[in-house]
Amino acid sequence: MDPNLISLIGLALAIGVPILSAAITIIICGTALAGIGTEKPELLSRLIITVVLGEALAIYGLLIAFMLLGKLPNITTMESANMALIAGVIISVATGAAAAGISYSGSSLIAATAEKPETFSSNVIGVVLSEALAIYGLLIAFMVIGQI
Amino acid sequence: MEKMRKLKVMVHEDYIDAVVRSLGQTALVQFIDIREKPEDWEGILVPYSASTEVIKKCSDFLSKIENAFKSLHIQPDDFPSPEIPITKEPIEKVLATVEHKLAELPIEEVKIYALASRIDHIIESIGIKPDVVEKEYALTQAEEKELEHIEFELIELDKTIQTIGLANHDLLINKIASKHLEDYDEIGRMFAELAKFVIKSRRYFGKRLVTLKKTVEEIEGTIETEINLKEVRGSLLTFREIVKKEKQIAEEKEKFVKSSQTVFFEAWVPDIVVKHAIEGIMQASEGNSIITEEAPAENDRVPVMVKECPGYLQAFGKLECAYGHPSEGDIDPLRVFAITFPILFGIMFADVAQGAIFIIAGILFTLLRRKGKLDDGGDIIRYLLVSGEMLVYIGFSAIFFGFIFGEFFGPSGVIHPITLGNIGPFQIGGFEPTQEPMKMLKFAIFVGAIHISIGLVLKFINEIKHKHYKLVPIPICWIWLFIGSIFMWAYWGGISNISKWFGEGVFMFGGLVMLPLILIFIFTGIAEGFMEGLGFTVEVFAETLSHSMSYSRLMALGLIHSAMNYLFLVLGGVEHGVFPLQSIPLIAIGTILVMIIEGLVVFVHTLRLHWVEWFSKFHSGEGIPFKPFKST
Repeated sequence: MDPNLISLIGLALAIGVPILSAAITIIICGTALAGIGTEKPELLSRLIITVVLGEALAIYGLLIAFMLLGKLPNITTMESANMALIAGVIISVATGAAAAGISYSGSSLIAATAEKPETFSSNVIGVVLSEALAIYGLLIAFMVIGQI
Repeated sequence: MEKMRKLKVMVHEDYIDAVVRSLGQTALVQFIDIREKPEDWEGILVPYSASTEVIKKCSDFLSKIENAFKSLHIQPDDFPSPEIPITKEPIEKVLATVEHKLAELPIEEVKIYALASRIDHIIESIGIKPDVVEKEYALTQAEEKELEHIEFELIELDKTIQTIGLANHDLLINKIASKHLEDYDEIGRMFAELAKFVIKSRRYFGKRLVTLKKTVEEIEGTIETEINLKEVRGSLLTFREIVKKEKQIAEEKEKFVKSSQTVFFEAWVPDIVVKHAIEGIMQASEGNSIITEEAPAENDRVPVMVKECPGYLQAFGKLECAYGHPSEGDIDPLRVFAITFPILFGIMFADVAQGAIFIIAGILFTLLRRKGKLDDGGDIIRYLLVSGEMLVYIGFSAIFFGFIFGEFFGPSGVIHPITLGNIGPFQIGGFEPTQEPMKMLKFAIFVGAIHISIGLVLKFINEIKHKHYKLVPIPICWIWLFIGSIFMWAYWGGISNISKWFGEGVFMFGGLVMLPLILIFIFTGIAEGFMEGLGFTVEVFAETLSHSMSYSRLMALGLIHSAMNYLFLVLGGVEHGVFPLQSIPLIAIGTILVMIIEGLVVFVHTLRLHWVEWFSKFHSGEGIPFKPFKST
């Protein structure tokens, strides 16, 4: 297979899947947020964290895609093309997993905070730890690109 | 932070209302809901259930009073609250008096006076001269019928005018009639039609209103007693105030328990006013009470006095409170938070030019806020105005890190990175993050280590303040573990050489990683038991790893910020620090986009690093703010 094509697939994965993950997260948490906003608008400023952390997943994909784009001229061998593909796969899986975590715990956080606002500081842990998963993937993808 | 004392009070039932009323006046104590701890009183005392009936009665009276206001077209909130004399009578007696006086009020008769005044008002506002109207027009039966319909419409129109808030009826009618309809929706158009009709039919209204006025005057003549509308309104306002206060008192009493003759309650009171509160209770109960005061027990959730934030730290105060107030005796991290927040934000948003824009915006928002524009505009504007000073701080931080990373509207080449120095393998500035991401990663982890260490120092202070001397060494060991691990990581050339940690670096590993972990296990074991110690040690190990890795987001978001700016620099054709004229609109659009989207993301990530990685070390956020009972 052409190394160029493989690296371009990696790049497409790196930008496409994180954007999809971010979209799913924003759809789920955003609709929950809109529902709560009508009942308790004073909580919106705190709960907006769920949507913004979801959006950050797309930014991580963007970063990896940018870096791969910069490396494209150097990718001439199959080995480096595979690394580019793997970097794309890593960030895709990591952001996908983070999106699942943020969507589930985020929408529950929103519902729970509306009922008992004092539980926010404990419940937010689920959302931020899910988001940390994407950071781990980002770091490794970033290191893999460094090897190209 | 001011210390709290717990008051335990037993009062004779006849005086309980006077006591609560007096405490409500002085606003010194916060009542504790004793019913939440039934194990303390069950079997000896019973809940003070009489209060529930009183609350129901108060609600009934309040709705009656509100209805009276409504029927008289009076907006009670437009008038100042009347002064209520302090009484020592029980609630039931106070409410009985109100009930009696309320029944005596000639509400039905007053309604006709209110109607007369409204008719006068309408006649005046639509500019009808009653004498002229009566001489010129006599209505046919068909006109009368049509008038009935119009009258109904007039009432609806009048309601809408009130809702819109336009006091001047003519203004609205003229405005719609002169076809300035752009601002109005469907309702507006409907009223435009109506307004035309109203103007056409003004003569008919005049006739009808004058007749109505005569009828009202006739009815007024049949009322024998002289009624003063102002007096009735004053009485209603006073009753409303009394019932509201009594309802508040009854709601507080729901937290109490009682025996056959006495009522028992507990309350928090600040140390410095304990004497004053006790004197107040004794005076109100005429000595018929037994009061003890004591220090809070170990498992009590003691409320904390929340100090007002200084204006220049207001935004940080709100962010801290959104997480939770400091627990009793804990250090308030506000000032440290106000330093570390802009630093972390600045690292991720390093840019000299954009930092300067933040400062200008911050100064502008601060000036607007100080001019009292806080209530103008929506929520977002209000947030921005409150954040004025914070924008200035993060602007300065962004400029500082912009200089050390060489960013001016992105890596444009205008500024060259400035090196501040090296601490071991960590280079402080002197590189462009996009060019040398590994250096940026090391810098990010280094900043994280310092930030978490500051959190652990605050934990150390908290443990000393709480006199948890057995737990005091734990934060020290944790800092040791933290700095030690970072040192190992840097000394042996990154995580890829981890095998060396267990080979030639095994003694260093033992001293810098294993020893502090063992000590943490021992100290926690001594203080809380060895099973808890084991669990906590594993938690410390996991947190040390995950929390320090989490700071790599400083690198990731810093790189993203730089890369997004770079995109617009390339599109604008900026090279070697030269900005061609045609690049300016592109850079402007790019800056706006980056400042809004990226600014929000960076803000949330900075907040997250503080809330999760930093606060979790020392700030539980479980403090309950002290809210003394105040009858208003």
